[in-house]
Amino acid sequence: MADAAQLALVHAEIDGELDDRQRAELARCLLADPAFRATRDELRRLCGRLDSMKQVDPPTEFLDGVLAALPPSKAPTALFRMPVGGWRYAAMLAGVLVTGAMVIKLTDGLGGDATEMAGTLAGSRAPQSVDLASISRGAVAGRANLTQHGSGLVLALELTAGAPVDVLVASGKESLTIKGLSAGRTVTALPGFERSGQPVNLTFMAGGREVGRASLE
Amino acid sequence: MVLVSEEDDGALVQRSIHGDRAAFGQLVVRYQKPVYNAALKLLRDAEEARDVAQTTFLNVFEHLADYDPSFKFYSWIYRIAINESLNVLGKRRPYEAVSGEEPDGAPGPDREAEGEQTRGVIEDALMSITPELRAVVVLRHVMQLSYQDMAETLSLPEKTVKSRLYSARQLLRDILAQEGAI
Repeated sequence: MADAAQLALVHAEIDGELDDRQRAELARCLLADPAFRATRDELRRLCGRLDSMKQVDPPTEFLDGVLAALPPSKAPTALFRMPVGGWRYAAMLAGVLVTGAMVIKLTDGLGGDATEMAGTLAGSRAPQSVDLASISRGAVAGRANLTQHGSGLVLALELTAGAPVDVLVASGKESLTIKGLSAGRTVTALPGFERSGQPVNLTFMAGGREVGRASLE
Repeated sequence: MVLVSEEDDGALVQRSIHGDRAAFGQLVVRYQKPVYNAALKLLRDAEEARDVAQTTFLNVFEHLADYDPSFKFYSWIYRIAINESLNVLGKRRPYEAVSGEEPDGAPGPDREAEGEQTRGVIEDALMSITPELRAVVVLRHVMQLSYQDMAETLSLPEKTVKSRLYSARQLLRDILAQEGAI
């Protein structure tokens, strides 16, 4: 019976990672042991089948979905790759911007919450699932998934049944309409929408009338 | 295997960092198929695989500035995809059965071709080993990575990667031999 070292030679042979000395050692073992040859043939057959596992193309709308879900521009991160001399200008620009923001803040006379500015300057974060809802009542069916990407929200709608519908998305003072959705998956960035504790309400419309509702917290 | 030079990936990453979304789109086009298929083979659920692939690319975009160009770009993106897939597997309830769902366009349970049946048996066996072992099989046999690239992708010593790969194959061989499929 083959030992672990001999089997390692077979695996390395299959993976194309044998050197000349190992190749000679493997050949010697194969000649000396018919059972080892059978084991090697079996492993080669197994790996051939693993290599032939079918690969499929991702869904056709995949690229569009990813691009639609991207958060706002990442250009600010380029500051960290500036040459040394560029920092001087970046510091000057930052000073001007901060000063300008303070002047605007003072002149508008509203005071305001310091966390508001901190929020807008906060770094982006990894996508986080906010809520998932099944859409099963009414004339449409499927599911809705709300995800946070950085400071923005992204809505993924997966409709499995129903005629083409328009979806009115509303939360607080923000709203937008996604038109002409049919069965399938659609990913839409929600510009201006934020996690403010208010639900994101979805109203499905067809032929000018409401045909379903869902709410994501 | 995705045959591209690292320089090309690096240039696209730099353009993406500077806000060029078309450049990032090219990276998605280049890697969407291996990332999606890796997730599909690990999860065996087309819907979850699509979500994992999308989350992978969004995470990549969010953290492009953190990418260390001394590593291969595809090792980095595959690592994110593998980790996302393992996270999803970790959240599955223990009693949850593998759905066996076929991806869009794939034949259903009534498939007749012998080759398709063989592939089904192989994929059944793959789902019966641990996710960590499955990951090395996917990296080697689906994504065609070398031992060195697998080690870089998984942040493991090459010796550990080889040990896992050999163990996985032995298990698969035993399972398929019991079923008379090899």
